[in-house]
Amino acid sequence: MPKDDPETAALKEELNSMIANFKAEQEKQNDCKLAEKCGDLPDVPKIRLAGKKILKGHINKVNSVHFAGDSRHCVTGSLDGKLIIWDTWTANKVQIIPLRSAWVMSVAFSPSGNFVACGGMDNQCTIYDLNNRDSTGVAKMTRELLGYEGFLSSCRFLDDNHIITGSGDMKICHWDLESGKKTMEFDGHAGDVVSISLSPDMNQYVTGSVDKTCKLWDVREDHHKQMFFGHEADVNSVCFHPSGFAFATASEDKTARLYDLRSDQQIAQYSPPNTTSGFTSCALSFSGRYIICGSVDNNIHSWDTLKTTHTGMLAGHENRITSICLTPNGMALASCSWDQNVRVWV
Amino acid sequence: MVTMTSEVDKNNSTAVCKATSSSATYNSATKHEDAPNILVYKKMEAIIEKMQAENTGVAVRTVKAFMSKVPSVFTGADLISWILKNTDVEDVTEALHFSHLLASHGYIFPIDDHALTVKNDGTFYRFQTPYFWPSNCWEPENTDYAVYLCKRTMQNKTRLELADYEAENLARLQKMFSRKWEFIFMQAESQSKVAKKRDKLERKVLDSQERAFWDVHRPMPGCVNTTEIDIKKAYRRGGSSHGSGSAGAALSNNPIEQLTRIITLRKQKLERRTIKVSKVSESLVSYFEQYSEFDYFITSPELPNPWQTDNTEMWDAEKFTKEIPMRRVKRWAFSLRELLNDPIGREQFSRFLEKEYSGENLKFWESVQQMKALPQSEIKEAITNIWKEFLAPDAPCPVNVDSKSIELAREAVHSTSGPNRWCFDVAASHVYHLMKSDSYSRYLRSDMYKDYLNGSKKKIKSIPNLFGVKR
Repeated sequence: MPKDDPETAALKEELNSMIANFKAEQEKQNDCKLAEKCGDLPDVPKIRLAGKKILKGHINKVNSVHFAGDSRHCVTGSLDGKLIIWDTWTANKVQIIPLRSAWVMSVAFSPSGNFVACGGMDNQCTIYDLNNRDSTGVAKMTRELLGYEGFLSSCRFLDDNHIITGSGDMKICHWDLESGKKTMEFDGHAGDVVSISLSPDMNQYVTGSVDKTCKLWDVREDHHKQMFFGHEADVNSVCFHPSGFAFATASEDKTARLYDLRSDQQIAQYSPPNTTSGFTSCALSFSGRYIICGSVDNNIHSWDTLKTTHTGMLAGHENRITSICLTPNGMALASCSWDQNVRVWV
Repeated sequence: MVTMTSEVDKNNSTAVCKATSSSATYNSATKHEDAPNILVYKKMEAIIEKMQAENTGVAVRTVKAFMSKVPSVFTGADLISWILKNTDVEDVTEALHFSHLLASHGYIFPIDDHALTVKNDGTFYRFQTPYFWPSNCWEPENTDYAVYLCKRTMQNKTRLELADYEAENLARLQKMFSRKWEFIFMQAESQSKVAKKRDKLERKVLDSQERAFWDVHRPMPGCVNTTEIDIKKAYRRGGSSHGSGSAGAALSNNPIEQLTRIITLRKQKLERRTIKVSKVSESLVSYFEQYSEFDYFITSPELPNPWQTDNTEMWDAEKFTKEIPMRRVKRWAFSLRELLNDPIGREQFSRFLEKEYSGENLKFWESVQQMKALPQSEIKEAITNIWKEFLAPDAPCPVNVDSKSIELAREAVHSTSGPNRWCFDVAASHVYHLMKSDSYSRYLRSDMYKDYLNGSKKKIKSIPNLFGVKR
């Protein structure tokens, strides 16, 4: 690496001193531990969820699951090259959408339930309209969003006409689906962007990345508002707290954490009784009291977010869990796994 | 702004160059060389070879047991002491972890356990034959697995008996391959015939090695599978040079400009006020207390969970009934957003505003939100309508907005480049704030809301507290 000229060196120094400043600032605000503060709260019971339905139909690893706004239908994407729209109550398939590329990694349901999006190693994001059929009778493909230089790792609808995507080329893109045009594109992280979670009011979102950091963004801006450190390996999943003031993360480093936007730092850390396997996905209960994480060890773990105690484990899947999703009303949890099944826990 | 975009473009092009060059080398490599774990495998194999060296390796013995012999094994204790002596591993836990990794990749395996790990005691272990090493990129099919399991059932030996999970797997495979089961069965039969001809001790070794192979590729439940990796991660490992490359390019492109930009952004951040963790904790606790009533995991829902009770009352209730559950009405008092998010709450609130003669505020705010979600082609018309209806000097129902916001809106609406969907944002947020600070608090104190709350309360019987949580 060439030596920096004096100006660059000076700037770098300034930057470093700022980082030190930030750290000092964080330290100052970190006047107590969440767990200590909440020590005298009554304990919450162990998580009572039980496997209620097994959604069978995929014939390869299922990579991603997402619920529609009605808390009843969900979409799953699998390496068998199919998207399946499920009615989780009857466990029936409502629609099967064959994909052009089998390497799907992320799916998203629009809150209205009218559209689904998916993408993966095909380096594009494809939108299907569930209310319209093409000549062969499957859901009509309405948009193919192209121009990525890496795999599509995450996507979330803002509404029926807008979607935000994160991809392996470290970029975050905003799309207007009506015109099919990219409205924003910017470098999001110093590594693959792997997860996006929208705030409850849909005005902000957090992204998680393999660069071990998470960032907070305003949907209208192309630079991050806040950045969160702490994880020692890839952040695999992020999930906004229902209050909109905090978010949870699940990481490859075998921990899950809770970060707060107002105090600008990590406020809690969760690890399972035996720390042997990383986490792939996370969710928070309706009141934010439980954090639920899908793990590589085939189980789903849960903790009391405030007291950081382990509150139970859901076993049933026979291979690693790739993604979990809580219904918007907080009543059921869907999980999908490499064992080709999707389970609904109630 | 312009300089920024051009910068991004430059980054892109360098990234593309890097990507294409790296993919070129990628293609020329053989299949084995780009297997995701190949570097790890090579290192492990080098060590395994040392372990197997005739004189300096781990002592492999044939142990005589009662009535039988156990061929070519070594104990866990031997292995650990070898590692401590011959490698730069210094303490026992580290050596154990190291040997566990070797075992979990299937280079060594315990002779009578499906869990691939190493204990520092007299348990016997054996080396895997190079043929079965994971570096050969095995991706064994389910049919092979079926043949193997089937074969095990044919040889009537206690050491070959299927474990419970294997029996389950066999049953499942049999169901899956029911049509070609005959073929699988025949193949298993011929394989077991060949095996029978072998020397007894040799057979023991081969059987155990095959078993260890399948323990790696079809691990016992609860064991981590080392051979399959997440495609997201696999892709990253393969193309990592591309990733860091473009990030590096971004920095070196124009370091000064980049750094100044970062510094200005950071400065903005430094001005942000942050809150103490203790305050944050309090607010999270109070959020939990406020919403615990609605959290299914803590409080049982008013209407039965449809998955639990197999009836769809919960979903139907929203469609058909007029009764509003009390809990829902209670939530309206949490914040204006909660109230407006509920269609019935919104209707109630607008009725209240009508009474107060300030209904236009909500109407204005709503129409701005609707306009923002319209397709581009209809935006212009909608904007003119909103302007005429609410903001223009001669508007039929003028909203109460300060002159500055109106001026901003006027500029945006009549701008030469045409109005955009955000032109009323300032005015709308002003009106929202007005509703929130003024009408909303009055609404909560009004008889209208209280009646509603009491009215719905009567219809609800007491809700049993299933989980026994203190509230």
